[in-house]
Amino acid sequence: MARSRPRPRGSLEAEVLACLAAAGGGLTAAEVQADLGADLAYTTVMTTLSRLHAKGALDRVAEGRAYRYRLVGGADGARSNMTAHQMLRLLDEQADHAGVLSRFVAELSAEDERVLTRLLGSTAPTSRNGARGRSARERSAE
Amino acid sequence: MISLLAVPVLVGLALCLVSDRLARSLRPGWAVPLLTALALSVALCTGIALSVAAVLVGVQLGPLPRIGQWSVRSLRSGMGFPDFVGLLAMALVLVLLASALVRGVRTARDLIRASRAARGLHPAGGELAFVDDAAPVAYSVLGFPGRIVVSAAMLAALSADERRVLLAHEASHLRNRHQLYFGLTRLAAAANPLLRPVVGAVSRAVERAADEDAAAVVGDRGLAARALTRAALARAAHPGSLAPAAALGATEGGAAVMVDRVRSLLAPPVHYRQLPVLLVLLAGVASWTAAVVLAAWGDGVVEVAEAVYARH
Repeated sequence: MARSRPRPRGSLEAEVLACLAAAGGGLTAAEVQADLGADLAYTTVMTTLSRLHAKGALDRVAEGRAYRYRLVGGADGARSNMTAHQMLRLLDEQADHAGVLSRFVAELSAEDERVLTRLLGSTAPTSRNGARGRSARERSAE
Repeated sequence: MISLLAVPVLVGLALCLVSDRLARSLRPGWAVPLLTALALSVALCTGIALSVAAVLVGVQLGPLPRIGQWSVRSLRSGMGFPDFVGLLAMALVLVLLASALVRGVRTARDLIRASRAARGLHPAGGELAFVDDAAPVAYSVLGFPGRIVVSAAMLAALSADERRVLLAHEASHLRNRHQLYFGLTRLAAAANPLLRPVVGAVSRAVERAADEDAAAVVGDRGLAARALTRAALARAAHPGSLAPAAALGATEGGAAVMVDRVRSLLAPPVHYRQLPVLLVLLAGVASWTAAVVLAAWGDGVVEVAEAVYARH
């Protein structure tokens, strides 16, 4: 997997936040590194976690010699965002999908679903991507 | 001279016929601003040209010639087209202007409402906010600052690598203000129905631009294609996530939009040529030239009519 270019600081922070949100609970720097990929240096992950902690985005508890980090808002934050989220979805529908929300993916027809499933098979990832879909926690437990 | 009206109308007609092909021949990141600017130019220039015809006939109506002190005979001989053309232009300008006003107000209102609603999202950090939605969704919304929203189900559907693609895709939308361009294109299409196909073309270009940006960030087009596919399939698998197909086709360029995006990423990178860029610029310059020349000519015709009135 070609991963030559370095990540900009902001995008790495977003990746770490998404990793913690996906895990649902607390993760150590080593677990975050295991999820994000071996091409990231441990110190880079550590620095990013400390920076996010300094910004107040992460809580941490000492665990042995390391820290276990979790999102400050956590599941409560994600639940309290539901009101605004529902409002936005409603607005987007009322505005006949006027593009107020830029969605990552559009809905599929049955035919599209079939074609995409086939395409996914043909682009079947090799190497470590076989571990996809499982949370960082499961993976780090290996 | 009024035949110059044909220039923006013909450009609009050409866009109507080839906007999709044109958009595909442009680098997606360039297609968005170029097509939006051309659509707005064509809408404005057509409006200006029609207004010139409408004004030249309009000023002959009722007591206007006496009030404005211009000669009707001079106007009639100067304008060189029958009255009904001007009256038709007048009706058309009023209808199109009203349509554009309605669209403009609605789009501005929707964007403002969305950015207000986005303030209720508490980011986990930076622009990124998570929601506890069981449906796999991810989107970005413009605001001050903008927000990227990702649901727990979407996070669960993707690997860490694939999440990078998603985050980079939405960051591209926000950074490039894609929602704004899309709104402006819709405005242009409301002011000139010939431009309706451009809305679909820009809608596709916006997604393709964000896809290519994301692929560049992760340095792997295959990975970007997989992330899109997995997210789309996860969404399709979620019960009740199907939107009414009619609402979708109108703005997202047809149902096969996801297949098209994935195929484009799986295909080798396209070498884009300069010619389509030149054609777009040329079409814009031609439209504006015609509009400015027509406006100046109309002004001249009225001036002559004033001079003739003053002599008698």
